[in-house]
Amino acid sequence: MKVPIAWLRECVDFDATPGALAEALTMSGMEVEGIVAEKRAPDGVVAARIVAVTPHPDADRLRLCRVDDGRGEVEVVCGADNAAPGVTAPLARPGASLADGTVVRESAIRGRASAGMLCAEDELGLSDDHSGIMILPDGVRPGTPLAEVLGPPDTVLEVEVTWNRPDCLSIMGVAREVGAIFRRPVRRPDVSFAEEGGPAAALAAVRVEDPAGCPRYTARVLTGVRVAPSPWWLRRRLLQCGVRPINNVVDVTNYVLLECGHPLHAFDRERLEGRAVVVRRGRPGEIMATIDGARRKVEGLLVIADAAGPVAVAGVMGGMKSEIRPATSAVLIESARFHPPAIRAASSALGLSTESSYRFERGVDGEGVDWASRRAAALMLRTAGGSAARGVIDLYAGPPAPRRVTCRFARVRSLLGMEVPADEIVDILSALGMGVAGRTAAACEVVAPGYRPDIELEADLIEEVARLHGLDRVPAPMPACRVAPGGPDEQEARALDGLRADLAALGLSEIMNYSFVSADLLKTVPAGDPATRVELPNPVNRDQSVLRDSLLPQMAATVGRNVSRQSCDLGLFEIGRTFARKADGTTAEKTRVALGLLGRPARIGMPGRGAATGEETFLELKGLIEGLCVCRRLGPLQVESVAFPALEDGWAVALRAAGAVIGMAGLLREDIAREWRLPGPAGLAELDVAALLAGAFDVPVCRPVPLYPAVARDIALVVDESVTHARVLEAIAAGAPKELTQACLFDTFRSEGIGKDKKSLAYSLVYRAMDRTLTDEDANAYHEAVKNVLRKKLNAQIREG
Amino acid sequence: MKDEAQAACAAAADLAALEQVRVRYLGRQGLLRDITPALKTAPAEQRAELGRLANALKTALAEALAARRAALAAGAAGASGPRFDCSLPGRWHRPGTLHPVSRVIADTAAIFRTMGFTVADGPDVETGYHNFEALNTPPHHPSLDATDTFWLASGELLRTQTSPVQIRVMESRRPPVRVITPGRCYRRDTTDATHSANFHQIEGLVVDRDVSLADLKGTLAHFAHLMMGPRVKVRFRPHFFPFTEPSVEYDFSCHVCGGGGCRVCKDSGWIEIAGAGMVDPRVFMKVGYDPEEFTGFAFGMGVERMAMIKYGITDIRTLYENDVRFLEQFR
Repeated sequence: MKVPIAWLRECVDFDATPGALAEALTMSGMEVEGIVAEKRAPDGVVAARIVAVTPHPDADRLRLCRVDDGRGEVEVVCGADNAAPGVTAPLARPGASLADGTVVRESAIRGRASAGMLCAEDELGLSDDHSGIMILPDGVRPGTPLAEVLGPPDTVLEVEVTWNRPDCLSIMGVAREVGAIFRRPVRRPDVSFAEEGGPAAALAAVRVEDPAGCPRYTARVLTGVRVAPSPWWLRRRLLQCGVRPINNVVDVTNYVLLECGHPLHAFDRERLEGRAVVVRRGRPGEIMATIDGARRKVEGLLVIADAAGPVAVAGVMGGMKSEIRPATSAVLIESARFHPPAIRAASSALGLSTESSYRFERGVDGEGVDWASRRAAALMLRTAGGSAARGVIDLYAGPPAPRRVTCRFARVRSLLGMEVPADEIVDILSALGMGVAGRTAAACEVVAPGYRPDIELEADLIEEVARLHGLDRVPAPMPACRVAPGGPDEQEARALDGLRADLAALGLSEIMNYSFVSADLLKTVPAGDPATRVELPNPVNRDQSVLRDSLLPQMAATVGRNVSRQSCDLGLFEIGRTFARKADGTTAEKTRVALGLLGRPARIGMPGRGAATGEETFLELKGLIEGLCVCRRLGPLQVESVAFPALEDGWAVALRAAGAVIGMAGLLREDIAREWRLPGPAGLAELDVAALLAGAFDVPVCRPVPLYPAVARDIALVVDESVTHARVLEAIAAGAPKELTQACLFDTFRSEGIGKDKKSLAYSLVYRAMDRTLTDEDANAYHEAVKNVLRKKLNAQIREG
Repeated sequence: MKDEAQAACAAAADLAALEQVRVRYLGRQGLLRDITPALKTAPAEQRAELGRLANALKTALAEALAARRAALAAGAAGASGPRFDCSLPGRWHRPGTLHPVSRVIADTAAIFRTMGFTVADGPDVETGYHNFEALNTPPHHPSLDATDTFWLASGELLRTQTSPVQIRVMESRRPPVRVITPGRCYRRDTTDATHSANFHQIEGLVVDRDVSLADLKGTLAHFAHLMMGPRVKVRFRPHFFPFTEPSVEYDFSCHVCGGGGCRVCKDSGWIEIAGAGMVDPRVFMKVGYDPEEFTGFAFGMGVERMAMIKYGITDIRTLYENDVRFLEQFR
């Protein structure tokens, strides 16, 4: 909210500079986000009275104004409609610089010399109004510099008001805070005015059909008003606060809203059918035009209606039909209190937040309703003339019971960890407007004022004490390290950190994608299960419309995006949650890890040139996962070919370790890789984190280190292409004794000499006994047995020598 | 013999020849060996002197051999083919990097563990009860609105803060409680340089007997020193959160200018970090803790914000773009 300092000073005295005031407000809970010093009015601009106006002989839309600028009469050319004899307006003399930097010169406009320029507010940088020349108060002596007419430049504070303090959404509310901080009394403006003629109740009628939605409704009636632009002092205040001036009636309602925080509405009484209003809910199919020109469905919303239909969305925005217009002569001033949820519902249903709805949603003081109405009536009589009908129509069930809250002095000490003297506590609470109803040596009881609905419990009072006594006075001792038992989450968090460290050590860099994924990406890179996918009913945009149920599509997209930025050697991982709908409709979460691989990211020092082959990338990826299984103590990795929509056929595998499926891996489908212009095959994998962490809490059990030497024997065999490495290992295992400790493939070879559809595989086998040194004879016998099994089971040709 | 041996060293044309020289003089059957038995038979008064001479001779010979060996090695390249190029690139396996958000979470957790905290976790998809109601959020508070919060068709929501984990922890344990809860949160913010619909928070909660606002200040000040360096100052300002009373916001003194005012802190000298406060008694009543017996404090902080401050990141979006040229800076 914007707070002009001059306005604030009308309500409370203080010595602080704007900077010191801002600091004091910030440190007591109302953060000042900006201090804006107004600019001075431009030099060379003076008040000038228009003496005579004649049409320009050569231009239809221009006029010649003779003006008295204090030095004498000069002629200026002017295009504004409101330039009339007797009006005092700002005249920019030749040499003056306007707000946009233009320097005014003596010049001829359509053949007539103009000795300066009569200015609109926007040209002077005072507002964005360009509807006509600015009108200065009558009686200003011609020749008076504009800067003198407008008064010294003010300073405006921009304050952030927290949700619990709607009372501070007003100058008077901020003034109360300032008064409490500096312990100064706060003044309220005069609201007395003369009433004439018949009672208000004879000029209008009010009925409340929804007392829950509208606990209090008051109406005053003014007749004989003359609607016109507001005087400058009023317009200026509104402009300082960022509110656009309209006319002297509407501006007064806005002025009072800014001053005391209570929203008001002014109706043209003559345009209310039956001169009566009713507060009710919008009926089925009801539509009304609001003053912003929009037609709005108001069914079910709290509205103000006349005999013909809704004339205002209660507490949000008035209707076009009964808005104040130049011809309005009788005004009904509405000052009411609406139930916050009713206003919130209307505001969100219409997608419309106004100065009024913003305050009603947060709650206004029921006791301030009549004061605001009186203030508005008094100001309107001053600015728009007319007379006020006697009395007020006030539909009010009565004030709520006073809220009494006790504050124990010892509790203040224990909660704040600081001694605050009892007198100081009572003094602070009184300064904030709380009535002290009782006091003992141990506690005081206070009555919270109506404008402080946030004060309900003792803790609320202690907060007031803390913030006004000063948070900087609370000590900050070195923390006492007490120990509290943790839950299983602590173990899991540490295990997850371990997994992250392993992945980084394996050469992968961590990425983070949003939990939202675009439906389009899921079409391009299908993964997860559409049947259980959770879509967002209200996404921020189309690209973030689905809760991800797999990390793979975004991992693939991340690879693609980096390639488009010329980074083509990528080793990436992401740990993240995925979401799926459960049978009961609620959402299940699962943490997974995705891997992405392109090119040769980890190899440094002559990494090789040219794109990595599919075989290279697949085996690199598989190797990473095997490494991960070793790090996580999951035992050997097994793979099994599967079909997976996002992965290339023949290159997709399910991953199994420690007896469970832990995930899947493969190469991104070639057509996608081509479309994204990837320079080579991209390896992708997704693993279940729970499965990876299954062994995280096992303690390694120490086994004796072998004492006797091992014997190594190599073997080369020629087999059909269809015989896989896995089958060879199986056969070796079948033929070998328990002394076989390692079987390692070290070469593959194909040639015409071996024959078509054949391959040669070379293995190194290591034998070792735990209880003795193996002899050559032992090793030879083992090796022969292995060879025999290979011959028998795989029809292998053993290559000797 | 010394001169003769040194001459032989100098004459050795290659390493093999030099080895022969070594064997001839210092080998197991070398010439110097022959002196040893002579020493034993020498008169006692000469023995010490002879021994000293023999040792000096050995040392001199060893030095001559080493010098010649080095000279031969140095000359080898020019003399007999190319030398190995030691300036070739080393072969290594490039380690990966952790995301800055992960790093901040890990660093923060490590610091709080030293103060007796443990990590607690909760789901991203929450109930309205845990995210709002149990945290004393008024039913018509704007944060409940569909314009601010992602509500799901199931009636669940994507948590807007990590604070619901406070509730889950208190529902499952009796005091004392000392936890921090890092996690992902979601708000319907339009993404810009400082806002992201998807972000991380770290929440902290302490509940015990006699916990005060002073303890909160002490704990966060200590954290600030360990996280940002010993010179950082912490400032507390009153604020409002539905689930704490009193509520505060806390700022760190600007790490760039040290508090004097600069572009990073918008001339204020302070960087806003997050919110905190004493747990509201209404929250304790929701979870069945007696607010007369126990008090507590809670605090939260934005992880992305901390990462941006700590690493000088100017745009939050770079954290989710996953450009490896950005990520690989965080080694």
